[in-house]
Amino acid sequence: MAESEAEVPKAKPRPIVRLGIFLISHSCLFSVICCTAGVLTLLLLPVLAKNTYISENALMPGSANPMFSSQEVSEANRLVKSLTSLDSKPVGSGIESQRLIAEYMSDLGAEISYHKFYPRSNQFHPLHFFSYPDSGSTRENVSCISHGLNTVGIIRAPRGDGKEAIVLVTPYNSLKVGPGEALSLGIAYSVFSLLTQVTWLAKDIIWLVADSRYGEYAAVNAWLRDYHMPVFSGLSALKAEICPVSNVHNELKENSVTERKINDGFRRAGTMATALVIKVTDGSEHFEDSLSIYAEASNGQMPNLDLINIVNYLAVHRQGLRVKVEKMRSLINCKWLKILGEILQSLGHVAKSLNPQWKFGIPAKDYVEGAATLASSLYYQALGVPTGPHGAFRDYEIDAITMEISSRVALNNKARKNDFLLRGGRLIEGVIRTVNNLLEKFHQSFFLYLLTSPSKFVSVGVYMIAFALLVASLPVVAASLYADAHKVDPSFGIDKSTPQASATDELSITPRSCKWLNAAKKVFLVHLWGAVVSFLPYFICQIPSCTPTTSFVVWVLLSSFSLPILSLILGSSFSYGRPSQPQKRDWTLLKSVTISAAFIGLCLMSVINFATAEIGALLMVPMCLMAQPLKLDIRSRKLRKFLRVACNLALGFLGFPPAGFFVLKGAFEGFGGITVGDFWSWLESIWSWSSATYLYIDEMGFSVDVTERDDIRVQSG
Amino acid sequence: MEPKEQSKEKKEKLWFWNWVIASVIFRLVLIYFPKNLNLASRPEVSTPLTSLRRLAEGYWLKQLSMSPYAGSMYHGSPLLLSLLGPLTVKRIEGQPDHLLCSLVFVIADIVNAMLIRATGQNLQMEYTRSLKLLDHVKLSEKPGKIIPSGDIAALVYLWNPFTIVACVGLSTSPIENLAIILSLYGACKRQAPLAAFGWVIATHLSLYPAILIIPMILLLGYGTDTPPRKLFLQRRNVEVGDNPPNDRCCEREEVVHRSEVPHVFSWRPVIHFFCWTSLWSVYVLVLCGISVKQYGGLWELFKRTYGFMLTVQDLSPNIGVLWYFFAEVFDFFRNFFLIVFHGNILFMMLPLAIRLKHRPCFLAFVYIAISSMLKSYPSVGDSALYLGLLGLFVNELADMQFSFFLFCGYVGVSLLSPVMHNLWIWRGTGNANFYFATAMAYACLQIILVVESVSAMLNHDRKLRKPLTELQDGKN
Repeated sequence: MAESEAEVPKAKPRPIVRLGIFLISHSCLFSVICCTAGVLTLLLLPVLAKNTYISENALMPGSANPMFSSQEVSEANRLVKSLTSLDSKPVGSGIESQRLIAEYMSDLGAEISYHKFYPRSNQFHPLHFFSYPDSGSTRENVSCISHGLNTVGIIRAPRGDGKEAIVLVTPYNSLKVGPGEALSLGIAYSVFSLLTQVTWLAKDIIWLVADSRYGEYAAVNAWLRDYHMPVFSGLSALKAEICPVSNVHNELKENSVTERKINDGFRRAGTMATALVIKVTDGSEHFEDSLSIYAEASNGQMPNLDLINIVNYLAVHRQGLRVKVEKMRSLINCKWLKILGEILQSLGHVAKSLNPQWKFGIPAKDYVEGAATLASSLYYQALGVPTGPHGAFRDYEIDAITMEISSRVALNNKARKNDFLLRGGRLIEGVIRTVNNLLEKFHQSFFLYLLTSPSKFVSVGVYMIAFALLVASLPVVAASLYADAHKVDPSFGIDKSTPQASATDELSITPRSCKWLNAAKKVFLVHLWGAVVSFLPYFICQIPSCTPTTSFVVWVLLSSFSLPILSLILGSSFSYGRPSQPQKRDWTLLKSVTISAAFIGLCLMSVINFATAEIGALLMVPMCLMAQPLKLDIRSRKLRKFLRVACNLALGFLGFPPAGFFVLKGAFEGFGGITVGDFWSWLESIWSWSSATYLYIDEMGFSVDVTERDDIRVQSG
Repeated sequence: MEPKEQSKEKKEKLWFWNWVIASVIFRLVLIYFPKNLNLASRPEVSTPLTSLRRLAEGYWLKQLSMSPYAGSMYHGSPLLLSLLGPLTVKRIEGQPDHLLCSLVFVIADIVNAMLIRATGQNLQMEYTRSLKLLDHVKLSEKPGKIIPSGDIAALVYLWNPFTIVACVGLSTSPIENLAIILSLYGACKRQAPLAAFGWVIATHLSLYPAILIIPMILLLGYGTDTPPRKLFLQRRNVEVGDNPPNDRCCEREEVVHRSEVPHVFSWRPVIHFFCWTSLWSVYVLVLCGISVKQYGGLWELFKRTYGFMLTVQDLSPNIGVLWYFFAEVFDFFRNFFLIVFHGNILFMMLPLAIRLKHRPCFLAFVYIAISSMLKSYPSVGDSALYLGLLGLFVNELADMQFSFFLFCGYVGVSLLSPVMHNLWIWRGTGNANFYFATAMAYACLQIILVVESVSAMLNHDRKLRKPLTELQDGKN
């Protein structure tokens, strides 16, 4: 692009080249317009959201009458009662509750097995990003004393071939069964008992009673891992060697009256079509019974939109529940958002008065709600940490959501409680019946979307526009800087002492187009450093007994040492302090290369995890565009330049991950009591989920920031 | 002055060897993490033709006295099978699998780099000589201006991530590349037997290098890359006009002597080359015939190897564009499009050969780039080869356009491709179009690279002519 401009001034270039030249020469204006448009489109997303619709025809939600009746409700009550009575007994309730549930299950005629697992601390391993969900190779830090026990019941479908299954998950704490957990077990049990009798079932039903003593996610994840990666005899012997086989199974069997049905082995039921995690909370709602849907899995993956659609459809239109998705509460009372919403509303009115067919205005209140939901959707996807046990399923390509049903009042009243159980049970029965109709996996609807309300979504095609507009300025600016760097070259030759040099240069072979190599080397070095910094915590983790603060300090020290070592090895120096014209050209090239690298990184991340890329772009694009050498600015002593310097420093500060974290945290929770250790724990929580966000934050954040700082420092030093 | 220069030269040489050793160490380190990197199963690295896992399977079948081509697993050469096969089954306790094979590939890579370096030195000598002939004194006087292209090319080849990945990822492409580079080296040195051997083996291993026969003939006939012949003629005219008539005859003799060298097609090495080629191919065919005698003979061999390449039977995804196309196309058009796609390579051969006949090495580079773009099962190992060869022309292509854009494109595509594959295969949120999009982008980049490098080369030739025409104009 750059050279084409230089070489063909006489002949009229092709229109596309002219367009390119036009864009490059007006890159400043173009980038400002693009950035503004990108931010505006992001703010417009709640308006552009479409209503959800059920895309897969085979689903046919709600086409059959529910069979769930008061008889099942009484079954549920029976289980809840015996669970709560068990809870009042102090001794041995850990195994007792599992035994009780297994007994109830086997009374229904289901196949039962216990799944013993050892909680595993989530370990960050730098190389696991490149491989699949981890195989059983990392079993070293297993503590033998503590183990959990999942109870699994399977109903074989009368019309199925045992190749597909639907999973119900009820996490509960086996040591202390709370009232909500008891109710969720009750609902699941009642649905399970209904499903043993029905004739329409075509997929097996697995009911996983997950022992959430060591966290809900860990239990579900352990079961899924063993489900998908069968342990062969050699390995199980190894396991037995590590941990002496406790006689839980025998103990359970001795106690159990119905041992004939309980299996020692691991029971399977084919591939899983869907998983539903059922939870019950009580008494917190003011208006009506409601259903909260949690869907974000690791790395911002979402289940197929159809799954959310059918749950939403059945809950709203059949059971009359209010469906909620997570919102950012702090944004709802936001002044400027309200004002923006009203502006948009009035704009919509104006548009409607001009042409009644234009319907893009939405009420201001809806807009604010949508924006808050969108923000939380973005936040949770960007964080890359699953919002519940459903996250474990997505790693095995299974669509799963968590349904949290909460009632209006505390469930002391028996009639209320029965009504609540009836509605919850009917909802789950409906969902299972709908999913049962599926002929293939969920594939018809979207996987890449953002929710603005339970019944509205922004699809990938729409939200990518916002991102593309925001990012589009980067390549243009990079190209214009690159062109500048080459334009500066000959004029410099003429300006200063050696006019002949430029004349001979034209004849001789100057590696004109290879000047960027030096800058590329520098950027590569900084990115390499970023990678090293992001892998360092893995080694720091190995140091036993470290408080977060000390490990953070160690990390900072090691990171700052590694940069000079790296630059020493690769033989590129950061200290060149003669400010002259070629310096300026070098700097322009460096900025151009940095911007290109940032562009590639952002585009890559937008494919992996859109939300992270969007938030990163919001921070990084202005930073990349505004970075300027400090010294030149300070020298000129103008107000505008000083403003720019201030902006630069502020952005550079914010873009530096730890600083950005503290500022955000301070803004939301107040500045009191933040320690450096917090950042460490936060990072630890992210990388324990092997979140790509972590790598990204470190790699990109550090690198770009450091490159920018380097730019600035080089010039000031 | 001189010892100083010598020490500087020595330092530079040391610097080169340091980087070579570092690259070897880097490879050895990576070989020890095969499980974590999982490169051998990447579609970008190992194709049905180059995968070592398939070769091991073929060897296993052969050990069971079945045809190695049974079950459509192995499609390579039987000679490679008997060379590498025994190494695949040897396991050393406590070491990663296929360690010996990996070491063979590392050695092949180093030999490749050394051959590229030697070729580069040869090319550079020729380049300086022809510049002197053309009296570009300014250029030839400043030795610092001319970059040691051989060293650069060798280092580019060794440190190219594509080469490293292909070497560590257990694909046989380093060996295929070795054969191609060997033939180029032999032709540059005008050693007909070596060139013929390299060409026959390269063709036998991967078929597409067969088109390199044109640059081979040109190399053996004309010698290595020089500026166009016209320039020398022009130069002679200028000189002849310049000289006063009295000492014209001796001067002319000298001129004739000087400028006659580069542009006379000498048939002797070419005929030698053909003799050796036929000898080597008969030899290879006999060896192949012996090894596949029990399993259906040579015809079966051709059907299972070359037939497999030409009819694109395996439609598993790779970084080329053919798999997607032939997965979509109707069956009764299949043959037609097979002819079209393969004809594409052949159509481009002749015009390029005419335009670039004075630069046969560069022509070979262009052919390799084109065939690695349009071949049926491309892998990053092929790209590694032509990117390494590109380094040979660093002096000529210094003014290439879009170099930065191409660099960014290659980086971006090579990072995007695994991500898209992950999205499609492992997460299930993408589909085949996602991955194919990166393959298309990659093909576009390669096209831009070929077009820009050819035009940069032609521009370079034009630039060399400019002072000559000025001289002539001034005289007239």
